[in-house]
Amino acid sequence: MKRLLLLLSFGLLGLVLVVVSSHAANTIKVGIVDTYSGPPAAYSQDVVDGFKMARDKINAKGGVLGRKIEYTTRDEKFKPDVGLAMAKELVMKENVDILAGTINSATALAISDFVKKEKIPFFVSNAKSDRITGQMGHRYVFSTNENTAMAGKAAAVALAKMPFTKYWIAGDDYEFGHAIGDGVWNNLKALKPSVQLLGQTWWKVGETDFTPYITAIVAAKPDFIIVATGGSGMVNFQKAAKATGLADKIPFYQHTAIEVTVGQALGMDAPEGVYGTANYLFYYPDTPANKAFAAEFKKLYGRYPKMTALYGYITAEFVARGFQKAGSMNKEKFIDAVEGMVLNDTPVGKMEMRKCDHQVTLPMFWGVTKKSPEYKDFLIAGDLVTIPASEYMPTCEQVLKTRGK
Amino acid sequence: MDIISFICSPGVLCQVLVGLSRTVILFIVASGLSLILGVLRIPNIAHGSLYMIGAFMAFTVSKVFGGGITGYWMAVLLAPIIVAALSFIAERAIFCRLYEREHIMLFLLTFAFALIFGDLVKLVWGAEYRTVSMPRFFQGSIPIFGLPFPIYNFFLLIMGPLVAIVLWLIVNKTKMGKISRAAAVDREMVGAVGINVSLVFATVFVIGCYLAGLGGALVAPIVNVTLGMDHTLIIEAFLIVIMGGLGNIWGALLGALIFGLTQSLGILIWPQFGIIFPYAAVIVVLSFRPTGLLRSTW
Repeated sequence: MKRLLLLLSFGLLGLVLVVVSSHAANTIKVGIVDTYSGPPAAYSQDVVDGFKMARDKINAKGGVLGRKIEYTTRDEKFKPDVGLAMAKELVMKENVDILAGTINSATALAISDFVKKEKIPFFVSNAKSDRITGQMGHRYVFSTNENTAMAGKAAAVALAKMPFTKYWIAGDDYEFGHAIGDGVWNNLKALKPSVQLLGQTWWKVGETDFTPYITAIVAAKPDFIIVATGGSGMVNFQKAAKATGLADKIPFYQHTAIEVTVGQALGMDAPEGVYGTANYLFYYPDTPANKAFAAEFKKLYGRYPKMTALYGYITAEFVARGFQKAGSMNKEKFIDAVEGMVLNDTPVGKMEMRKCDHQVTLPMFWGVTKKSPEYKDFLIAGDLVTIPASEYMPTCEQVLKTRGK
Repeated sequence: MDIISFICSPGVLCQVLVGLSRTVILFIVASGLSLILGVLRIPNIAHGSLYMIGAFMAFTVSKVFGGGITGYWMAVLLAPIIVAALSFIAERAIFCRLYEREHIMLFLLTFAFALIFGDLVKLVWGAEYRTVSMPRFFQGSIPIFGLPFPIYNFFLLIMGPLVAIVLWLIVNKTKMGKISRAAAVDREMVGAVGINVSLVFATVFVIGCYLAGLGGALVAPIVNVTLGMDHTLIIEAFLIVIMGGLGNIWGALLGALIFGLTQSLGILIWPQFGIIFPYAAVIVVLSFRPTGLLRSTW
C-alpha cells in the first residue's frame, strides 16, 4: 500500500512538472488583478473590455515581436491582502510578463511594493491614490489613469472660482478617500486662503446607510461638501443625497460624479446639480477619434464605454508599443521604451507617459450633472470645462520632492 | 456650550429621529432573532442572510410589479412572506430533525445555512449591487426643527411601533404566543402536557424569520442592496440581543434603541470616529450587566 502511494505521488509530480513546463512560452502574458464582485465591479469590467478591444486589434495585425498578447484576470474582491496574493500567484505560477490592475488603491500600493522587488512592470489601471506614482513611485510602476493629486488640483482650480467659503469634507475611510479629500482641500486652501474647513466625517468603506451622516452634516451648515467617495460609495452616496434632498440644499463634489459609470448605475434616480471631474466621457469632446472609439466599443460590448475602458485600452497600447520599441522581451528595455512614450491617436488626443514619475498625462473635465434630451437613461455632464494636463498636473520637481530626492 | 441648549438644538433632535428610524430596522430584525433564541434556544446565524434575502426579494418583487408605489407595497408585503416560506422549508426539512441532538449542532447548522444563503444570493442575483427605487411618495424630506428629515425615515418611525404592537399581541394575547412562552421556559413540560412542541418551534421560527425578511424589505430603498449586508447586520443584531437580554423582546427594543441612538449621535459628536460609539456602548453595558439589561429567558 505504501509503495503504491509513493509510486502514485511520483507519477502525479511528474505529470504536474510536464504540464507546467509545457506552458506556451511564445506569448506576452498580462495578468490583471481587479475587483470583479460588488459595487467596484462596474468599473473593473470596462478595464478588461477596453484592454481586450485594443489587444484583439494588435493580435489581428500579428501581435508584437511575433507573439500574441494574452491576458488573465484575478478577482481580489476589493481586499488588499487577497489582491497581493493574487499578484504573487500570477507572477510565480503563471509567469506573467506584465501586471495590471486594480481599482483598490491600497492593493495597488501593496502590489507596487511587490513588483519593485520582483522587477516586473505594473500598470495601475484604475487606482487613484497619488502616492502610487508620487511618494511611493519607482521604476517598475506606471499609472494609466489619473490620480488624486491631479483630480484634487483640477477640482480646486474650478472651486476657487466659485463663491463658497465654508467647506465640509466627508468620505470613505481608506487610502483613496483621504487622498482625494486632502488633494482637493490642500490645493484649494493654497489657491484661496479664505476658505474654512468646518469639519470632516469619515465612514467605513462599503457603508450603505448615509442618512445619519447627511443629517449631521446639514446641521453644521457648510456651503459646500467635498465628498471623497471611491468605487463603493460613489453611487450609494448620490442615491442617499437624492432621497434626503441633499443635492437641492447643499452642493457637493465627487471625483467622477459626472462620469457614465455612476450615471448609468443610478439612471434617472441620480440627483442633478452634482459637481464632478472625470478624465473620459464618451460624448465629449466630440472628436472623430472619440466617436470612433465609442462606436467600436458599443458594437463589441453593447454599451457605452466608461472611463475605465479608456484606461484598459491605453494600457494595452503601452504594453504593445513598449515591447515593439524595445525590440525584445527584456523588461528593463521595455521600461526604457515606455518612459516618455507619446501616444498621438488616443480617444482623448495626445498623451505622454511621463519619464520622471511614470504618470500618464490626461486631460480633465469639470462639469455638473444634468438631464439630457439625447440620453434618456442617465444624466450627463453639462457646463463642461476642459482643463489640460499642463494646468493641473504636479510638476516633475514637485513629485520627485515627495519621494525625498 | 450650555448642555441643555445643545441637547435641544435642531441638529441633535433631528439626529435623534434619524437614530430612531435606524432603531426600527434593528429592532425588527433583532426581535426575530431574540424570539428564535428564546423559544428554540438556537442562535440563528442565518438571520442576517435572511435579512439580505428579504432585501433582494424586495428588489425583485418591486421590479416585477413595475416599481413605483405598487411595486414597493407589494415588495414589503410579499418579500417577508417568501423569506418566511424559505425558512419554513429549511426548518421542516432539516432543523426539526435535530431538536433532540446536541445544541451545538443547531448552531453549526444555522452557520452552514448562513454561508449557503449568502452564496445563493450571489448565484441568483449576481455580484453587483441592486437599488430599490424609493417610491415618489416617500422621496424628499420634510423640515423637522428646521432641518430636512427624510420622509421615508418618518414612515419607518410609524412602522416600528406598529410592528412592536403586533408582535406584543401575538406573544401575549394569542394561544400560540402563550404556548411558545411556556416552551421557552420548559419545553419538556410543554411536551408532556400533550402539545406538539415541534409545531410550536416551527411557528416561532417562521415568525422570527419573517421579521428578518421584513427588516430587509423595509431597509431596501434607503441602503444599497448588496452582498455583505448579512455580515454587518448579524453582528449588530447579536450584540443588541446580548445587550438586551437573551430571548427578551423588550430587551431587543432597548438594545436597538441604545445601538441606533449611539450610532447617530456619535456621528454628530465626533464625525471622524462616530462608528465606534455603539460598540463602546455595548462594552459599557456588558461591563455593568453581563447577563444583559433585562431578564433573559436562558
